[in-house]
Amino acid sequence: MKVGDGVRIAGRSLTGHKLRSALTVVGIVIGIGTVIIFASFGTSVQTDVVGEFEETAASEILVVTGDIGLEPGEGDFGGTPMPGNLDSFALPGLTTHDIGELREIDGVDAVIPRGGIDSAAAVRYEGQAEPHDVIATSPSAFPESNFLNGSSFRQGESGSAVMTEQAAAAYDANISVGDTLTLEFSDEPETVTVAGIVTQARGGLDLFGGFNAEVYVPTDPYYQEYGDTARSAAQGVDQAAYRQATLVAEPDRVTGTQDRVERYFETESDAAAVLEDGVTVQSAADIVDGIESVLDDIIRLVSGIGLLALLVGAFGIANIMLVSVTERTKEIGIMKANGARNREVMGLFLAEAVLLGLAGAVVGIPLGLAVGFGASAYAEVGFTVPYGWVLVATLMGIATGVVSGLYPAWRAARVDPIDALRYE
Amino acid sequence: MATSSSQPVVSVENVRKEYELGGTVTALDGVDLTFEAGSYTAVMGPSGSGKSTLLNLIGALDTPTSGDVVVAGENVAALSEAARAALRGTRIGFIFQTFNLMPRLTAVENVTLPLMFDEWDRSDRRDRAEQLLADVGLGNRLDHLPQELSGGQRQRVAIARALAADPELILADEPTGNVDTETGNEIMSLLRDANNRGNAVLLVTHERRIAEHADRVVNVTDGVIERIEQVDHDTPVAGEQR
Repeated sequence: MKVGDGVRIAGRSLTGHKLRSALTVVGIVIGIGTVIIFASFGTSVQTDVVGEFEETAASEILVVTGDIGLEPGEGDFGGTPMPGNLDSFALPGLTTHDIGELREIDGVDAVIPRGGIDSAAAVRYEGQAEPHDVIATSPSAFPESNFLNGSSFRQGESGSAVMTEQAAAAYDANISVGDTLTLEFSDEPETVTVAGIVTQARGGLDLFGGFNAEVYVPTDPYYQEYGDTARSAAQGVDQAAYRQATLVAEPDRVTGTQDRVERYFETESDAAAVLEDGVTVQSAADIVDGIESVLDDIIRLVSGIGLLALLVGAFGIANIMLVSVTERTKEIGIMKANGARNREVMGLFLAEAVLLGLAGAVVGIPLGLAVGFGASAYAEVGFTVPYGWVLVATLMGIATGVVSGLYPAWRAARVDPIDALRYE
Repeated sequence: MATSSSQPVVSVENVRKEYELGGTVTALDGVDLTFEAGSYTAVMGPSGSGKSTLLNLIGALDTPTSGDVVVAGENVAALSEAARAALRGTRIGFIFQTFNLMPRLTAVENVTLPLMFDEWDRSDRRDRAEQLLADVGLGNRLDHLPQELSGGQRQRVAIARALAADPELILADEPTGNVDTETGNEIMSLLRDANNRGNAVLLVTHERRIAEHADRVVNVTDGVIERIEQVDHDTPVAGEQR
């Protein structure tokens, strides 16, 4: 029997029982649909996050004190360190001297130190206080394209600040460039003028698109005055010291620059002298890889739930195929009397099961993509079609058909034609 | 192909067939029988006589416990399952009492069934089936499903199917058992036509009246051949034997 004839005859058997076939397919549709929903939504989030991160941070090298990813050393901190919560576990160790030295390293365009000031502070505007983080950084943290309004503060000048649009939006009153904020530090309040409003700042370990409400001030004078200090071994004095800094490398020399930065920290840096665990140097590429791998794991895990639904669907196919074999015993006898070999009978029933699985994929994949698209639109991330998963889902549909149809088809092939022809 | 040759189309030699049904049941107890190419033979006997067993053996649906069944030059017992299937599909045509058409296939598709398993091209199959259905008077029922046909029409589709691959041997098992007398006569006349075109016909029946349509009647009782008669169509013997 030719393959085309076999598929046609199998299809005829299925359309002969439309409702039954449709209900069997529903199980597979749910399974494959679930896999595709989670995969497409997950992939969309991944692409969105990674894309945003790469766009802003492709040439960035992040330097963080402490040894991220290993167990925290004996000290005041318990638990596993989490990126994004650096201030709570890292020690200040990047001295002002280190920052200066880093600026001199070949391939480094800019160094953006970043230090939180007085985490208990609130930011007041026209009587409304919001617990925004106040962060000292340098003007390099604000590329031109990040500005919605205004411009950066200048290093070494007090009295002006930059804030994110999220920070500005927290106030009932409309904040614009030139307005005055009060930074309520624990000892004495500082008054600053809003110099600019930005979408986000460079240099944070801000993995999810920079939706943080933050107010930025220049390190000089504010971090010098309010920030942490450490002893500079090179200069023999205590000076302002940071927990993290972001280096902007020349775009095509990131890897080499990262090596030179690592070498600096291993040999002559103040940080190496101050910090027991040294520093962690990571490029954006490392971080993106990390995010991708974590999100991949999540997608795989959640899509696994869809596999459970698919398993249920597989039992549905196996069940209905076994019923079908019994019901059509006589047809099997007729086919055998007319020259059907055992393997052709087996092939016909297997083809039916595979067609059911494939139909599940054909319906489930667009359905899953549609729901995934809806979820992505709702979550306001750009939709990405997970082509790899679409292929996987199609293969899963076929495989489900094969696996669940194998035993019924084998039973069909073994039907004794004499008994079958006598069967009523 | 239904060609005349000196070799018999079926040769049954000293065949025994036993079943285990809570004890050994002997269905055929040493049967010798030969069917010449182009012959028309009826095997007659009451139910339980072993005639259905004989039909299954000759139809390559079953293999004997001992002895040889040679169909179209092939020793059935020595063939693989696939080769027996091919033998059934291309060298033997089956006609059953209950028609045994595929319920979801049209008349044409039912007729093409053996050709499909023999891997004919679709258009060749269709041409052949249309010709055969026209021959049995169903040229206007080509794309009807079995359920849309009367019993007689269904049996005619089955006859067309049995002739599809132009096999050496047509096996007809009580072909008139489920139709009225008039339709039965039409069916017997179609079988005679097929025989006249050179296909050997083996008719299995328990009715003497039907058996006498053949040229030779083999009487089977209790698993042995009791008697073989030649039928003289000029002086029917039906009345005397009853």
